[in-house]
Amino acid sequence: MTDFRTRIRASLANEALQIALDANAERRTNGRIAAFESLPNWQEKRQQAHAIRADVIEHLEEYLEQFVDRAERNGIVVHRAKDGAEAVKIILEIVKASPQSNTKDSLVPLSALRGKEVLIAKSKSMVSEEIDLNPALEAAGIRVVETDLGEYIVQLRKERPAHIVTPAVHLRRSDVGQLFHEKLGIPYTEDIPTLTDTARQVLRDVFLTADIGISGVNFGVAETGTLCLVTNEGNGRMVTTLPPIHIALMGMERLVRDLDDLALMLSLLPRAATGQKLSVYTQLIHAPLPGQQRHLVLLDNGRTGIRNSPLKESLYCIRCGACLNACPVFRELGGHAYNSPYSGPIGSVISAGFFGPDFIPLAQASSLCGACREACPVDIDLPKLLTRVRAGQIPVSSSQSPVNSSGLSRLGRLFLQMYSRFARSPRLFAVSQRLAALGTRLLSPFSDYVPLPAFTGWGYSKDLPRFAGKPFRARFHRAEANSNGRNSVILSEAKDLEDKNEDSSVAALPQSDTRTAQFIEELTKVNGNVIRANRVNLTGQVIDFLKSRGVDSIHLEPDVLDEITLQEAGITVSDAPDAGLRVGVTKAICGLADTGSILIADGAGDPLQASLLPRIHIAVLCTPDILPSLADAMALPIVRQCKSAVVITGPSRTADIEMSLTIGMHGPGELIVFLVHTIC
Amino acid sequence: MPTVQLFITCLVDSFYPQTGEAIVSILRRLGLTVNFPHDQTCCGQPPFNAGLRAEARPLAEHTLRVFEATEGDIIIPSGSCAHMIKHGYQELFRDNPVWLPRAQAVGKRVYEFTEYLVDRLGVTDLGARWDGILTYHSSCHTLRGMHIDRQPRLLLANVRGAQIVELPQVEECCGFGGIFSMEHPELSAEWLKRKISNLEATRSPTLVVTEAGCLMHITGGLHRQRKKQRVIHIAEVLNHK
Repeated sequence: MTDFRTRIRASLANEALQIALDANAERRTNGRIAAFESLPNWQEKRQQAHAIRADVIEHLEEYLEQFVDRAERNGIVVHRAKDGAEAVKIILEIVKASPQSNTKDSLVPLSALRGKEVLIAKSKSMVSEEIDLNPALEAAGIRVVETDLGEYIVQLRKERPAHIVTPAVHLRRSDVGQLFHEKLGIPYTEDIPTLTDTARQVLRDVFLTADIGISGVNFGVAETGTLCLVTNEGNGRMVTTLPPIHIALMGMERLVRDLDDLALMLSLLPRAATGQKLSVYTQLIHAPLPGQQRHLVLLDNGRTGIRNSPLKESLYCIRCGACLNACPVFRELGGHAYNSPYSGPIGSVISAGFFGPDFIPLAQASSLCGACREACPVDIDLPKLLTRVRAGQIPVSSSQSPVNSSGLSRLGRLFLQMYSRFARSPRLFAVSQRLAALGTRLLSPFSDYVPLPAFTGWGYSKDLPRFAGKPFRARFHRAEANSNGRNSVILSEAKDLEDKNEDSSVAALPQSDTRTAQFIEELTKVNGNVIRANRVNLTGQVIDFLKSRGVDSIHLEPDVLDEITLQEAGITVSDAPDAGLRVGVTKAICGLADTGSILIADGAGDPLQASLLPRIHIAVLCTPDILPSLADAMALPIVRQCKSAVVITGPSRTADIEMSLTIGMHGPGELIVFLVHTIC
Repeated sequence: MPTVQLFITCLVDSFYPQTGEAIVSILRRLGLTVNFPHDQTCCGQPPFNAGLRAEARPLAEHTLRVFEATEGDIIIPSGSCAHMIKHGYQELFRDNPVWLPRAQAVGKRVYEFTEYLVDRLGVTDLGARWDGILTYHSSCHTLRGMHIDRQPRLLLANVRGAQIVELPQVEECCGFGGIFSMEHPELSAEWLKRKISNLEATRSPTLVVTEAGCLMHITGGLHRQRKKQRVIHIAEVLNHK
């Protein structure tokens, strides 16, 4: 492992990296701030979120027990792994026991060509990076393909993600163009939609033929056993929906108590991560789909140690990456310089917690400016935790002696020890002040500044002001004599000015018309389309749309449109998933006004696939079903009762190459909501 | 006349005594009796922030002893030293049943200088005059540690003759961070460069701060780069006629 300081210098000297990181920091920070402004009482919600996470971590074993019990009752096979090796072993055993033949024959045109190699489609999971899962699987002869665009890019480059949310943040479009030219054989291009579409096509085959899907988990819900996954591209939905086996890998601390907690967390996480009110796909997974096996691997890997250490608060983290984007150190370094899967301020805390004292020096690379804490959606006191890591207050295994390393340089430590020695005694302090004044005057008799050499650190980029010839302590009496009694004004009574609490006006419940208008506005903002329809002629209007696109066959959820009318119009209807179809039509169980989202759940006709595989997703929504927000949807019985549901907010998207927004990644590129003005 | 205690901080004491004099002059004009406990040295923030808690503890205990022997509000011309005594000591002594309550009692008496003027005294206009452009830099610990921003801005807005312009990326760290600026000079240098170019963009010849650490760091950088701009503690602006 190269020295941290060497890696810092390398990052600073990498001009392309600097440009990419500057753009990331500015865009992400502005996006986050704007997104939070759209959330009423967000500071209050942030404190609630902190309290929820604190409660969960405090009573983690109880919530875990409840969560595991619920998930198992829902039909999910739960495994607990105490460390990375155990998690890898569990996953390899699942692979070994798998039938290795994809039962969904209609979806697997290519599986026969692949031979016996097991294929795993993986959506982003930082926990899998933490335990080095991919190398372990590959060593066992398994082919693992990352399907998040950014992860796919770094996997092709044989690198680690440079950011927990945007893995390819360190690369420019030209890097990706060159990579795809070399590895995928396409002509060199810097056109981001072309690059994105190339990855889409390659990865689509992976989704359709994978034996196993592996995903991470954003939140587990103790009360219901729900796994919540938040993604934008649709790859998370693919790997959890299409392969016959889904393995979810989850850090054991990522729990919330109930669906209300979850709604609150989901109002914060996407805003903090990407500046979105809601990510495109918010999945609520309860149970295996018909014919599917669902496993959950709950990983400890040092979390219990952190929980019992002064770094406990770091477990409140929901991995949004906001502290990375806000951090001026990350902005100079990018993720790789940290040499840990977790970078930025949170990484500088938990890397030492997970991987030991070798990672303490990461925590010294901070001015403790506090931008991380300010950005944190759950208000983790990161500067405090950084000082704890510096003080060696990290988990210690019983075999180790207490940590006695601050990560300081020898010179820095010596300087501070001497300083602290002098400052303990007022007399020594005053004497050393005078000596320093004399010294700096001798070093620099003709200037107010001393040019120190670079090795001192200070002298690298600045001069040192000379010590004052006479410090304040020696001047105080003089000041008293000079100004005493002059110009004195009688002090009006000292008073405490109460901070005015900015009373946010309590908004009246939106009327249904207002809700509809808000829904349309929000959905349009996230690149969705709304077509107003009436109940009588709904099917006719959909047919007109299909004809305008030259579409003559669709995947249709039963009982949404009039099938006889469709057939008369020459539209072939299927209620089974088919990757060849361009249009899927589903109903929306409800709409969400404040984010422009719709809710889809599993059921007859596979609406989850109909809303995922085709290029165009048409959803039928009735205006009375538009609810104010996600929290209201969480109260619907179906959300608890379904095997799997997804909240969809616009067409699938990615911004993994130079943060350039590209619509239509793995999921549909078009989302069209037919809004029916009636009581359905 | 109420008596207030002045904790001058090691940097103002050693490098910027004129800032201390300006503060004394302002407080006396407002009718306060200013006491300067002579045994004060350093609050212990440099070793504490660096992770050397064993070195920080005696300095914190010393500071607490010195101020426990006094009465009244404690005024500090530095958001970061105020942050240290108010919040850092809670952390330093979190498992210490003897010193924690003592730290809390002293912490309650602590005010950053502009916070004291505006929130405690209700004074927002000191009758100061400054002819020319001024721009304000939000020091990290003043802004995010003590949540003080409105107060210095309000005081500056009432300085006659001064034209206040906003510093771009005003909330970004200047790269000081105590020992950080020596431990990671390359990182510190990048931020300092950015702070100075943002200062240049304002065309203001004068940058106002609430923190001697930033002052020392930014002036050191300006001097190295042979720039003409100067950095000044807000007390000196408010005491200027």
